[in-house]
Amino acid sequence: MESSSLKRREQPMSRDGDQLIITPLGAGNEVGRSCVYMSFRGKTVLFDCGIHPAYSGMAALPYFDEIDPSTVDVLLITHFHVDHAASLPYFLEKTTFKGRVFMTHATKAIYKLLLTDYVKVSKVSVEDMLFDEQDINKSMDKIEVIDFHQTVEVNGIKFWCYTAGHVLGAAMFMVDIAGVRILYTGDYSREEDRHLRAAELPQFSPDICIIESTSGVQLHQPRHIREKRFTDAIRSTVLGGGRVLIPAFALGRAQELLLILDEYWANHSELHNIPIYYASPLAKKCMAVYQTYILSMNDRIRNQFANSNPFVFKHISALNSIDDFRDVGPSVVMASPGGLQSGFSRQLFDIWCSDKKNSCIIPGYMVEGTLAKKIVNEPKEVTLMNGLTAPLNMQVHYVSFSAHADYAQTSTFLKELMPPNIVLVHGEANEMMRLKQKLLTEFPDGNTKIMTPKNCESVELYFNSEKMAKTIGRLAEKTPGVGDTVSGILVKKGFTYQIMAPDDLHVFSQLSTATVTQRITIPFSGAFGVITHRLGKIFETVEASTNEETGLPALKVHERVTVKQESEKHISLQWSSDPISDMVSDSVVALVLNISREVPKITVKEEEEEEAVKSEEENGKKVEKVVYALLVSLFGDVKMGENGKLVIRVDENVAQLDRESGDVESEHEGLKERVRLAYQRIQSAVKPIPLSAE
Amino acid sequence: MGTSVQVTPLCGVYNENPLSYLVSIDGFNFLLDCGWNDLFDPSLLEPLSRVASTIDAVLLSHPDTLHLGALPYAMKQLGLSAPVYATEPVHRLGLLTMYDQYLSRKQVSDFDLFTLDDIDSAFQNVIRLTYSQNFHLPGKGEGIVIAPHVAGHMLGGSIWKITKDGEEVIYAVDYNHRKERHLNGTGLQSFVRPAVLITDAYHALYTNQTARQQRDKEFLDTISKHLEVGGNVLLPVDTAGRVLELLLILEQHWSQRGFGFPIYFLTYVSSSTIDYVKSFLEWMSDSISKSFETSRDNAFLLRHVTLLINKTDLDNAPPGPKIVLASMASLEAGFARDIFVEWANDPRNLVLFTETGQFGTLARMLQSAPPPKFVKVTMSKRVPLAGEELIAYEEEQNRLKREEALRASLAKEEETKAILGADDNASEPMVIDTTTTHDVVSSHGPAYKDVLIDGFDPPSSSLAPMFPFFDNTAEWDEFGEIINPDDYKINDEDMDRGAMHSGDVDGRLDEATASLMLDTRPSKVISNELIVTVSCSLVKMDYEGRSDGRSIKSMIAHVSPLKLVLVHAIAEATEHLKQHCLNSICPHVYAPQIGETVDVTSDLCAYKVQLSEKLMSNVIFKKLGDSEVAWVDSAVGNTESDTTRSLLPLPSAASPHKPVLVGDLKIADFKQFLSSKGVQVEFAGGGALRCGEYVTLRKVGPTGQKGGASGPQQILIEGPLCEDYYKIRDYLYSQFYLL
Repeated sequence: MESSSLKRREQPMSRDGDQLIITPLGAGNEVGRSCVYMSFRGKTVLFDCGIHPAYSGMAALPYFDEIDPSTVDVLLITHFHVDHAASLPYFLEKTTFKGRVFMTHATKAIYKLLLTDYVKVSKVSVEDMLFDEQDINKSMDKIEVIDFHQTVEVNGIKFWCYTAGHVLGAAMFMVDIAGVRILYTGDYSREEDRHLRAAELPQFSPDICIIESTSGVQLHQPRHIREKRFTDAIRSTVLGGGRVLIPAFALGRAQELLLILDEYWANHSELHNIPIYYASPLAKKCMAVYQTYILSMNDRIRNQFANSNPFVFKHISALNSIDDFRDVGPSVVMASPGGLQSGFSRQLFDIWCSDKKNSCIIPGYMVEGTLAKKIVNEPKEVTLMNGLTAPLNMQVHYVSFSAHADYAQTSTFLKELMPPNIVLVHGEANEMMRLKQKLLTEFPDGNTKIMTPKNCESVELYFNSEKMAKTIGRLAEKTPGVGDTVSGILVKKGFTYQIMAPDDLHVFSQLSTATVTQRITIPFSGAFGVITHRLGKIFETVEASTNEETGLPALKVHERVTVKQESEKHISLQWSSDPISDMVSDSVVALVLNISREVPKITVKEEEEEEAVKSEEENGKKVEKVVYALLVSLFGDVKMGENGKLVIRVDENVAQLDRESGDVESEHEGLKERVRLAYQRIQSAVKPIPLSAE
Repeated sequence: MGTSVQVTPLCGVYNENPLSYLVSIDGFNFLLDCGWNDLFDPSLLEPLSRVASTIDAVLLSHPDTLHLGALPYAMKQLGLSAPVYATEPVHRLGLLTMYDQYLSRKQVSDFDLFTLDDIDSAFQNVIRLTYSQNFHLPGKGEGIVIAPHVAGHMLGGSIWKITKDGEEVIYAVDYNHRKERHLNGTGLQSFVRPAVLITDAYHALYTNQTARQQRDKEFLDTISKHLEVGGNVLLPVDTAGRVLELLLILEQHWSQRGFGFPIYFLTYVSSSTIDYVKSFLEWMSDSISKSFETSRDNAFLLRHVTLLINKTDLDNAPPGPKIVLASMASLEAGFARDIFVEWANDPRNLVLFTETGQFGTLARMLQSAPPPKFVKVTMSKRVPLAGEELIAYEEEQNRLKREEALRASLAKEEETKAILGADDNASEPMVIDTTTTHDVVSSHGPAYKDVLIDGFDPPSSSLAPMFPFFDNTAEWDEFGEIINPDDYKINDEDMDRGAMHSGDVDGRLDEATASLMLDTRPSKVISNELIVTVSCSLVKMDYEGRSDGRSIKSMIAHVSPLKLVLVHAIAEATEHLKQHCLNSICPHVYAPQIGETVDVTSDLCAYKVQLSEKLMSNVIFKKLGDSEVAWVDSAVGNTESDTTRSLLPLPSAASPHKPVLVGDLKIADFKQFLSSKGVQVEFAGGGALRCGEYVTLRKVGPTGQKGGASGPQQILIEGPLCEDYYKIRDYLYSQFYLL
């Protein structure tokens, strides 16, 4: 593990496999602003994009500065809670991010309502506003939807999602990059409740599991006991003439609590005269979503749905604002926000907190730094919104309905999956350490690595990426034995490789090959015989023939370029494009142009032949010099050794190069390979191009 | 080396019969669709019955009778027991379609091919997948991955992709490339070069599809014209497929225009259908889900359509012009048939067909040109038995009961004898003598007997009726009897049970359905033949939601499979498409007859190699579209595992290869590219491109075909020796990669 800025880090060459980096930009050793960065083989995935509910403005954002948003290929949002989704409008509209964003249908539908509400409710100064309603609407166009189990592929990154429990539409994402699988659970719960399914167990075991650790080593009480404590506390308070405040976040767990309350009231007629209020216009708006995406809920609610809509409550009425609320006697009020930071729940708390008949039931997880977290420790006094202090006399109950996996669920989940690497996120530091210690005792064989990176601290893992290719078509007609040569086009699509013959390219891929035939006409009024003669001097093969139709002469130079006399004034060149033919044709063109410019120069040619012999020797020396110079520029210390071998020293390693055969001797494999390759390339650069390139 | 693939049509080739095909992939047998038609002729299923027991998996593509109608019958009677895969809407709407079929049939005949229970049990074990979900088959199908993809046509409609070892078999029938109100167009075009494509030629000869807007206008105009003169409009529709699109058109039009004419949607399951459809938004078009996300407006909250589940409600409706959408589209059964007979002789009325009727049905007869003046219709009705008939029936039933009981006890004795002497190892859960239940059962229909003994295994080896006895061997340790703590746990589920209500398999069935199911009063069917004068208008419009011939051809050309199998179309259309594909798309086109097995195993050679790190570090990829290409020269070596070969760099310099230009030049795109570079460019005759003043560029050789199946492109560039020539040549080279 090391911590340094991701931006500055260069891609190191693989030592034992390719490097996979996981960096929490938020939710590392904390709860809130979930955002986990992951990068492997040039592909980058960001999981979640939340804000920290206890902070405001820029301070609430994940550490986006650590990454370059424009390199992120895919952003996956697990569910609609603000600590998982609320910085999305900012990230989409105010950064250089240009990748694709995915979430489930239900999440997207609630996301918009929720954030619009969030913008309205959060009372911060204009400069602290991270985004406005317009940004949210714009972000809606960029968000794509994914259904549970649907596989989507973006730039070679494959991903799909599983039901996560927790809240409606919550998903766990499985990402597959080049065969390495990463599971990001988001918030999940393995316990089925009144309306949601339990989180699924993925079919495949991931290589890395990034898992939430909110509940740490705690164990949840069985559901019916929690429900009984909840209803008993409410019952005793209201029958004793008190008021019950349930600060709860408007969406998600609140729906579950309302289902419980409505059912309890229905079964206890003595409570019928006591009103239950639900103070959230937002939740009212979201009901349509709850009524539509029943496919994401469990069978129980879907069966109930057949008779009547279970989300139409018989004993619970909605309140739009505190002005509509007449505080005249015992009542039960569920209000947001859940942390009692501000808003309706805080207003009621301030009014009710000093009366000991009243109670406050905190039904879920409390984020560090919020009033809800403070009052659970039952302080004597609390500070009100207006800055005054007041005695805290009301009873405070904590009954957790937060749908986070407890220790038992987490450990069984991990034992079923047996991921070799576990990264803990989304948990307070102490809880996380305890969880890590306890998990280590569960996996004593030492094959499981458990990591708990802090924010911006990277976890680096290495995966042997064995690249497999499929050789197909003509090239694969015969399966080659060891030592045989395989040459062909390697086509890479995503992370799959295929090798094929050029002629098969259009058959097995969307690509196609092309041949470009070139035909060029050159003005030439001299005798065609002159060209024939000249060409014969320069090129090895010049075949003469006559065009049968016109009776005009034609030449084929090097079996590549056809030179034809078209008319008295023109000749034409025709050839099929490739570098060598282009070169041959260029020299033919140059030659023809020369002839037309200065006709009487044929005689000089005889001398040239003698020169040619001489220059062969000179050439040999020149080549040697060039080779030597190039090797020096590449490796530095190159000396002429005995028996004509070149001795190359790099640091402590020595390599001997035989210039005749190109063989390299060295004890260092890497150096040997590099020298051999370099020499091969130099050779092909300095030597004339062989013409038998077929 | 390739994966072996065989296709055997069981029904629905060279005609419009229901679809059902057997595809065997390396010995694993898929049944693609399990259709029947509205005539329910068991002889159609004869080829299926021969192979039903060997089938390993069933894939369903659309929720209508033609694609899944035979499922309950095949499960019950033909020994089909394989798991069934379908999308959630296909499962749910398919189930409702079958209910509607059964209930409509039961009203008019002694329908006994399958029962509601058979339908339930056939659909109970459907494994539901979402679009693009890659499902790895377990057990025998190890290594095979199936995935449904969007087909259009009907809600949840799927084309299936079956993959094994990287080879793809695509089954795409009745797809629609056009986006509709409630559905997205098919995603078929995203598959490129699969090994095998199995598709239908149903619409191969059908070309003049009108534009959507114009068609909708004609549709609505025709309807309003008849309504305004006081006529009624009947749309014979399917139960839960194409009808959804029609409902949306009418609903939207009615809310825009504020028409007062009532719309009725009448099937036995209409309200359940719409209830479920409302929760299937995920499966619908982007615009529907977008409008829900932004405004929470569910498109299927129908404000102008009244859902009816029995005919009496329609009869009680206020008089006056109205539109009724009723099932079945074939007019062979269901409410649509009754209404047709009632309304046919009033010239103000309109019967509007939105799809071609199934072959040999009343609907098809009425769609012929010119339409018949009279049709002979056999109308049947179920009436309760009364008087002597009832007594006779009861006696008959009692006699049957007795006989059955006698037979059962005889059979049991036989069995007992056979089993005597055998090991006494069977732990019999319960023993019942059927004769004792006889008295209880006899007053009800025969189905009730099943209910009463349901849950007990019939006795097979007992000598006399007795309750089962289990030897309770308790284990002890030093703390006493070993107990299972789970036995003492309070089950969370018990708590929920208060809120649970007892539902049937689905939790929802309409009252009428329920009453019909429970109505076991003895009844009989009486039939009478009527001559119906057809004086009402008959109009047919295309709302089938299938791609037309031209789109089918371009779709196949785009997909350009290595091998193509054509099914489900009349002989003419099949032959037409086959010739077309042979000429211009792919050389391997098959159109097998029923029972004829074609082997479409790809003759593709392939082997797998590992790419060594050494080799890959020297490969420089060039990016082309969404793939990257490079030339490799390598030597084959061994890997550690020894089972696969690995590719290593060549020990010596590679011998040069013939250079390859890779790329796909589109003349039109190139033209734009050139003009962006400031070159004067225009099209000359014959597809040639004139670049600058002198240079021309053209594609030669076999052109005009898409998909690149024709081989490498040949491009000719010619011109006089000039600077322009070399400039344009450089631009041309920039469109390609040289390997």
